[in-house]
Amino acid sequence: MSRFFASTLSDSDLSSDEELLSSSEEEELLSSEEEENQKELSSDEEGKQEESEEDESDIFGSESEEEESSSDDEGPRRGPSYFLKKSFAKSDDEESESEDETRKVVKSAKDKLLDEMKNNSDAIELSKKKNSWVQISSELEKLTKNLSKAQQQNLGSGLKLFIKVIAGLEDAIAENSGSNKKKMDALNSKAFNTIKQRVKKHIKEFQKNVDLYRQDPEAFEKEDEQAENDLDGTALNDATVNKSSQKTTKLSEQSEGVFQTLRTVIESRGKKNVDINEQVASLEMLLSVVVDPFELISIYLMLIPIRFDLFSNAAYMSVETWNSVFQDISALFKILEENSNTYRVLENAVPTDDIEIQPESNKDGIKEILGSIPSLVERLDDELTKSLQVIDPHTTEYVERLKDEGKIYDLIVRCQLYCELIIPKEEYKGVAGEQLARVVLRRVEHIYYKPVQLIILAEKTTWAKLQGRESKIYPKINDLNLKGNYSDGLLDSLCSILYTQSNSIFRKKAMLCHIYYYAFNDKFYRARDMFLMSHLQSTIHTSDPQLQVLFNRALVQLGLCAFRSGLINDSQQLLQEIATSQRSKELLGQGTQRYQQQQSLVDKQRLLPFHMHINLELLECCFLTASLLIEVPTFAKTNDLNSTKQHTYSSAKSFKRALEYFDRQFFQGPPENAKEHIMHAAKALQKGDWIKASELINSIKIWDLFSKSDELKIMLKSKLQVEGLRTYLFTFKNFYEKLSIDKLANVFQTSEQKVNSVVSKMIFEEEINAALDQKTNSIIFIQGVEVSKLQELALQLADRAGQLAERNERIAAGGHQGSSQSNQQQSNSNNSNNNNNNQQSNQHNSYGVKLAPVTGALDSTPGKISGGALNGFDKRQRKNQSRK
Amino acid sequence: MSEMAPLTQEELELARQYDLSSKIIPFLDRHLIYPLIESLDLIYDEKIINQLSYDLLKETNMVKFVKDKYQTLNPGKEFPPELLEKEKFVSSELIRLDSETKNTLNILSRREVQDNLKQDKNYNKEYLEKNFQITEEKINELYEFGQFQYNRGDYVMASDLLNNFKVLSTNNDLNISATWGRLASEIIRLDWDNALQELGKLRDLVDSRSFSDPLTQLHHRTWIIHWSLFPFFNTLNGLDQLCDLFFSSSYLSTIQAACPWILRYLVAAVISTSLKNHQSNVFQKRLKDLIKVVSQEQYEYNDPLTMFLKSLYLEFDFVEAQNNLKKIEVLVKTDFFLNNIAEKCLENSRYLISEVYCRVHSKIDLLQLSESLNLSKEQGEKWIANLIKETKLDAKINESEGTIIMNHQVNSVYQQVIEKTKGLSFRSNQILMSTLQKQEN
Repeated sequence: MSRFFASTLSDSDLSSDEELLSSSEEEELLSSEEEENQKELSSDEEGKQEESEEDESDIFGSESEEEESSSDDEGPRRGPSYFLKKSFAKSDDEESESEDETRKVVKSAKDKLLDEMKNNSDAIELSKKKNSWVQISSELEKLTKNLSKAQQQNLGSGLKLFIKVIAGLEDAIAENSGSNKKKMDALNSKAFNTIKQRVKKHIKEFQKNVDLYRQDPEAFEKEDEQAENDLDGTALNDATVNKSSQKTTKLSEQSEGVFQTLRTVIESRGKKNVDINEQVASLEMLLSVVVDPFELISIYLMLIPIRFDLFSNAAYMSVETWNSVFQDISALFKILEENSNTYRVLENAVPTDDIEIQPESNKDGIKEILGSIPSLVERLDDELTKSLQVIDPHTTEYVERLKDEGKIYDLIVRCQLYCELIIPKEEYKGVAGEQLARVVLRRVEHIYYKPVQLIILAEKTTWAKLQGRESKIYPKINDLNLKGNYSDGLLDSLCSILYTQSNSIFRKKAMLCHIYYYAFNDKFYRARDMFLMSHLQSTIHTSDPQLQVLFNRALVQLGLCAFRSGLINDSQQLLQEIATSQRSKELLGQGTQRYQQQQSLVDKQRLLPFHMHINLELLECCFLTASLLIEVPTFAKTNDLNSTKQHTYSSAKSFKRALEYFDRQFFQGPPENAKEHIMHAAKALQKGDWIKASELINSIKIWDLFSKSDELKIMLKSKLQVEGLRTYLFTFKNFYEKLSIDKLANVFQTSEQKVNSVVSKMIFEEEINAALDQKTNSIIFIQGVEVSKLQELALQLADRAGQLAERNERIAAGGHQGSSQSNQQQSNSNNSNNNNNNQQSNQHNSYGVKLAPVTGALDSTPGKISGGALNGFDKRQRKNQSRK
Repeated sequence: MSEMAPLTQEELELARQYDLSSKIIPFLDRHLIYPLIESLDLIYDEKIINQLSYDLLKETNMVKFVKDKYQTLNPGKEFPPELLEKEKFVSSELIRLDSETKNTLNILSRREVQDNLKQDKNYNKEYLEKNFQITEEKINELYEFGQFQYNRGDYVMASDLLNNFKVLSTNNDLNISATWGRLASEIIRLDWDNALQELGKLRDLVDSRSFSDPLTQLHHRTWIIHWSLFPFFNTLNGLDQLCDLFFSSSYLSTIQAACPWILRYLVAAVISTSLKNHQSNVFQKRLKDLIKVVSQEQYEYNDPLTMFLKSLYLEFDFVEAQNNLKKIEVLVKTDFFLNNIAEKCLENSRYLISEVYCRVHSKIDLLQLSESLNLSKEQGEKWIANLIKETKLDAKINESEGTIIMNHQVNSVYQQVIEKTKGLSFRSNQILMSTLQKQEN
């Protein structure tokens, strides 16, 4: 296609522009010359050939370029020529567009992207002529966006296109900035200024490419081709045969050469106009010839970070590069493990003056090299997470990518073993132990949200790959320890390493992951006690958002766990804040609100990959069901006028509102989603029809997401029985004088014993005005005097007065020295329901992650976790003291 | 205790099942454990008990006692050499320490010295050092000797020595240890008043000292909780004091966090103190708090006493409550601490059941009630009559029908309002007074 295209180009070429002319001429030239070439090469060797030729670019650069642009028939190759034509020969606009259309049929995603970019650049050129900077500005923006996409897909030609546009714009700006600027209207000049700045920025970013382009546009194009090949990951192996064979001889003679190269790489690192790809290639080449472990380690320690640099601007690393980095790190581990008695890579090693000097051996004969293996692994892990954040979770691509998690987990475990090897056990708490802690934290983060079976499976596969190795922290999985709670122990021991760290972030994260894990695996009390003892809720709102998200996740998981365990009250309290929040997605780090168009990159990075999400619908469903069980009897109670206790639960509001909304609807169809099921059930329960309610609730499909859904349904049914009975009594007590327990037991399909105890409780707590008659086995309702409105108000007033007095007392006691006794008592009563309070304060703090400052305060040390329950009380006391 | 009938097999198992010794012992001192172990002879074999107490005390310096034990365990056998060695060592140490401290003690017992000692410890130190060359070292010898005497089983001497030390020493840590030592000595001497005094001092020390490590503070509190069981269950007002201490916020949370089994004693104490002040707000509040704590901790700790409370006040299951009552009967007999209040505890538990029962029912079958109280019909009738008399319950016994008829009064609205507003003006005045006082200050 490009051949065809090129010819049309040259035919219709009207431009006087040199660049275009030269390229088109060359293309023609080549068409004959190159065909010979092509015959010699088998098609699959093409790419390699290209590269090897490019390596000697000084000698016959132009040919190789031509060869490339013509030999590759795919869309991207077509890019430059098309672009040239477009940008410099505008008269052909229409023709090219028609071509565009015909081509559309076969366009791949890459093509499409390139076309789009081309359109952008066209538009920019056009507006440049018109001097309409506003338009340029918008087009440039689109182009930049497309560029980043192109970079992800390894489209070098996209970059090339971009550079040209940028260079062109720079020229135009230089032209216009002088006299012409005055002519522009306000809007235009404003746009002009923004563009000026943006172009400056871009030029800085791609300084090297732009310079190259300016020096020699042709060579520049070639350069790009090479970059592209590298990115495609084909640059490995035989690609460098020509060059390397030359160098091999050189290098084997003189190993100094290795460090020569390394030194140049180090010197150029971080500088602007350096071609990273070239460096990667040369380092890779070195790897294939070097055998000395020290040299190998040095090269790997250089190569891997450079590979990461390649994608510092892109949203995430391409899969190929990811894999090659993975292989590099694995290879590095292999070398390190083989030579663990001679070489070790340590973060706190003494740096040598020159990289080629081997570090001096310490007393054990071990040479310590400066470097950080854990951070390499961490970075690779981050890249995987980043890509998972971007990929659509409902595609197979996501699943494919997710499989790499196993790989990274292997690597993390391997890294942990290596850290255990190089760090003595007594150092775990110290500075050196931090490396280990980082790796261990990664490991914890990879397993805490998984069910036990999955963890065990992952452990099995990992340890199978690491045969003959043993961890000091926790024994490897085998049939023996599998019988016990392997995963519990694993998490416990991993977290206990983290708890000893002096950095509070490790401790906090480990704590929350630990809590999440236990909550997820139905150990409510354990998780709750840990939650309360950690006292995280007092400091969490000053932590960074990621930690807050983790906090919320743990909280929600705890709520779901309470629900599964039948602790409806706890569950409702725990879930309330998040479930009723409009921003539940955001609070759990599972997405941002739609209205927030401008979300920063940081915001995006904070989001969790899809496989870690908590099902929001399930969350809502649990919360509503819990609310139903609590609120329906309460409504029945408060609707009754005789009741003097008017409860106004703030928690009831959301459920009440939902129920009222449901009532207002004219047409109530059969329930479709979970929420409607619950609303219908609530209505049924209000009528005393508990069977229907329980059928409705149990028919909700989402319960199946819980592993023990059958048990859950049985639990819910029995809860509904009791609450149904209570509702029934509240609602209909005014119509009865005597009600036989027999009958109630029949209606609610439960034992008389149970009815007795439920009714007794209601009587004892003065919820209903009644008494039991043992002789006739029935409830006698004592028909109290009807309370008039005035009397009711009088009672309320008395209540309020009492509350007021109480509050006054509290205030007086709080500020007074002599009354510390009463103060003490006050805090007694406060603390007796300490757990409840704490839980409530949990929610307080979970409220509004966004409200908390995003940065800073990370260095605030929380109470020591090991301190157990005492911590908080100390604090409370200190507060009391300071008040005095 | 002695006239009690031997336990049946069933009861024995129950007692063993709920035996707390193994949980409590880690929190006690060796010497304090001894009486606890001795009391276990009801449940366990005598030989085991002897062996246990031998193992327990062989580390101490009570050589003579250990010898006796050894002989009962291994009649006719020679004493092991290390025991004889120890005997020698102890006597030589005793002489050494005695001679070392003699001088100091003599000086301290002089009248003019005692007159010159003041509250200020630093002043005392200087004074003694200047005039009598009693350095800090000498004072620390007192501590050492005290500890030695305690280990030897001479608790009177130990207590005195430690007391002297406490007066003079400025070393905080040793002071605390000395206080602990004194408390232990007093407990073993059954001198409850002194023990309570020491306990109070310890509480102040533990609560006021801002412990750098919260964990240490937790440990100290758990020790206080366990040790305090001795004096509290043996003094007249002890149970009330126990409730005060254990319901204070920090101790309650310590119990919940570190030693939930203490709930048994808390429940027992609350129940036992219920009769004399069951109407008071204090009791109602304690009961409420207790129920809350018990229900919170039921996943961690359960025994007949806590289950009794649970079945009565949370589940209103009278049958279950009655079952638990039966178990409590066994438990209070065998428990070292509860033994003292067994009768009171049982009596009050019965009362609590009947109270709840009466409040819920309007017509009660006398037979059933008697059954649920673990009494015969005759006894039950008598008991109810007493109850009505004592507490002025609004109830009548209908003998011919065999029922009790409860008269539930509906509180009229007026009464309710009066009830609610009764204390208001008094309370407000108090606040006013205290505020004014504060201003004056």
